[in-house]
Amino acid sequence: MVGRPMTQNRISKVLVANRGEIAVRVIRTCREMGIATVAIYSDADRGSFHVRNADQAIHLGPSPARQSYLDIGRIVDAARLTGADAVHPGYGFLSENAEFARALDRAGIVFIGPRPESIEAMGVKTTARQRMAEAGVPTVPGSPTPIGEEAEARAFAERIGFPVMIKAAAGGGGKGMKRCDGPEGFGRLWQSARREAGGAFGDDRLYLEKYLERPRHVEIQVFADERGSSIWVGERECSVQRRQQKVIEETPSCVVDARMREAMGELAVRAARAVDYRGAGTVEFLVDAERNFYFLEMNTRLQVEHPVTEMVTGLDLVRLQIEVAQGGRIPAQEEVVRRGHAIEARVYAEDPARNFMPSPGKITYLRVPAGPGVRDDSGVYSGWVVPQHYDPLLSKLVAWAPTRDQAVARLLRALDEYTVHGITTNLSYLAEVLRHPAFRSGEYDTGFCTRYAKDLLRGPDPALEDVALIAAALSAHKRDTEEAEAFAARGGEATLSRSQWLRQGRARALRGGIR
Amino acid sequence: MTAPVSYVALLEGGKRERTVKVTPLGLGLFEVRIGDAVHRIDAYRHDFGTLSLLVDGTSHSATLDERGSVVHVRLKGSLFPVEILDERRLRLRRAAGGFTVEGKQTVTAPMPGKVVKVLAGIGAPVKEGQGLLVIEAMKMENELKSPKDGKVVELYVKEGQTVEGNAKLCAVE
Repeated sequence: MVGRPMTQNRISKVLVANRGEIAVRVIRTCREMGIATVAIYSDADRGSFHVRNADQAIHLGPSPARQSYLDIGRIVDAARLTGADAVHPGYGFLSENAEFARALDRAGIVFIGPRPESIEAMGVKTTARQRMAEAGVPTVPGSPTPIGEEAEARAFAERIGFPVMIKAAAGGGGKGMKRCDGPEGFGRLWQSARREAGGAFGDDRLYLEKYLERPRHVEIQVFADERGSSIWVGERECSVQRRQQKVIEETPSCVVDARMREAMGELAVRAARAVDYRGAGTVEFLVDAERNFYFLEMNTRLQVEHPVTEMVTGLDLVRLQIEVAQGGRIPAQEEVVRRGHAIEARVYAEDPARNFMPSPGKITYLRVPAGPGVRDDSGVYSGWVVPQHYDPLLSKLVAWAPTRDQAVARLLRALDEYTVHGITTNLSYLAEVLRHPAFRSGEYDTGFCTRYAKDLLRGPDPALEDVALIAAALSAHKRDTEEAEAFAARGGEATLSRSQWLRQGRARALRGGIR
Repeated sequence: MTAPVSYVALLEGGKRERTVKVTPLGLGLFEVRIGDAVHRIDAYRHDFGTLSLLVDGTSHSATLDERGSVVHVRLKGSLFPVEILDERRLRLRRAAGGFTVEGKQTVTAPMPGKVVKVLAGIGAPVKEGQGLLVIEAMKMENELKSPKDGKVVELYVKEGQTVEGNAKLCAVE
């Protein structure tokens, strides 16, 4: 294949074509590797955390992603202008856009990711499913190609039977993905999925898949280099999802044993090889109640939840990505050692009590957890105004411990330490998920959040109500006392100003004169 | 200010009321009476928003997030939205009347975003809980529902329009 670097070519400056926590995450590793960084930003993101963390920053344009973070021409220009020799795309935005990879290639800039051909083979989900079936990887039943018309889609849904999943052919990350239980809501969901897909990926093609009952979502991290090695780096269990958005991820999965892990791992590596893969990728599987697993899709990029894999393996996946892009080697399969248990909770700016309504706005106060085994991958700071234009993810809080029980307890402890003021977050919701008996037992599937929706919205602990009232009343008392004092001081000032004589007297008093 | 002060705390959006009487004892020390219970409190204010409380010797760390008239008190992962009123504020509140869904209800944008769909046009009859508009913010679509049975009598926005938080969207009567 053309343009495949077979020798080590050192990268000295990386443009990070993303924003928020993942841009900060990538910049951190670059800094550790002595690589200079370039941030890009939209109007809304001038004050964003990633901008001040980078060595250079280039303004792209207006806030909507289409005119900034999705604008290939401007981003390639920014890389050229700053002399960046590589681009890291993060996740979302242009991370799975083959045109972007090609445009960079034409400009002589390394794309830290797979070849455009691999992105295309996996990026159009329907093509990927065909390729996997040919490679002997089992897939979920569904439409072999994207469906253009709503009527045609409805007919197909009726043929395979409801419930069905409407999915974006160019999709990922839950955008443009809807579960439809029957013909009544089909039209509305189809149109909504189409708009979301168009907005998120600039491609509104949709396809259908049969919805499996009570499936678990388990994915395998894979890595491949240009020297012919492909390995799997263990699984991540991502079944705690709401509106197809992952909420909590953990590794290892409670449903996967050593034999199943190896079987899934080998299948995932086979899937990667089938598309001549390079770099970091994730092969997602649905696991049914009998622990059969089906290929769902391959994400040809770094995943949001990659830190749990890093915690149990000690690897830095971003560093590995950069090393592969430099033509370096990945570790051998037997060198990858997994230890302990890691869980990630996604901290979102949303209000669980108001149907998870997004809650953009100013963070007036922020204190993040610390202590043993805790990692906070955040993209925000105290004083930052969370913009309405992008994903509501504020941070990913990860806990590692030798056992699952200890990891759950540790993550709960850390969530309790997490303080965000000014906007509403899902912190209490995350804690309720971790406390729930179904989560504790490990017996959960992708229906968890819907099935236990009521349990997860439980109100505050009544035993603490008196203490809360004491806190609120003492705070009000302090405010009232200070207001009264300020009022008295201002009142005194006003009286004095009316009388020249009194003011002179006061001035004399201040100089230490008569009392 | 060393005289006792009585406050009324409104909980659960005003559904419950409790009286809290605060008597300062000097230098961060207070006696607080809630109903029949009397507590000795040592309060220490840390950095912005954090209050260390020793309640009868038990240590609590509370964070207070002021949201207009309501303060969000967080304690060990429990969140209590509380509105604290002194007697004067309580009288003002009572005079102004409580919340109601009688009459014309204006639906406002709960967050800044873009109107992607108007589900019920002007004059459309709607049921309580029926979708009125779809607003996109942070890449997700959110359906806003009617607060009551009635008819859409005003529509202040059109599809594709960007709106600020709290912007008027439509009215149902």
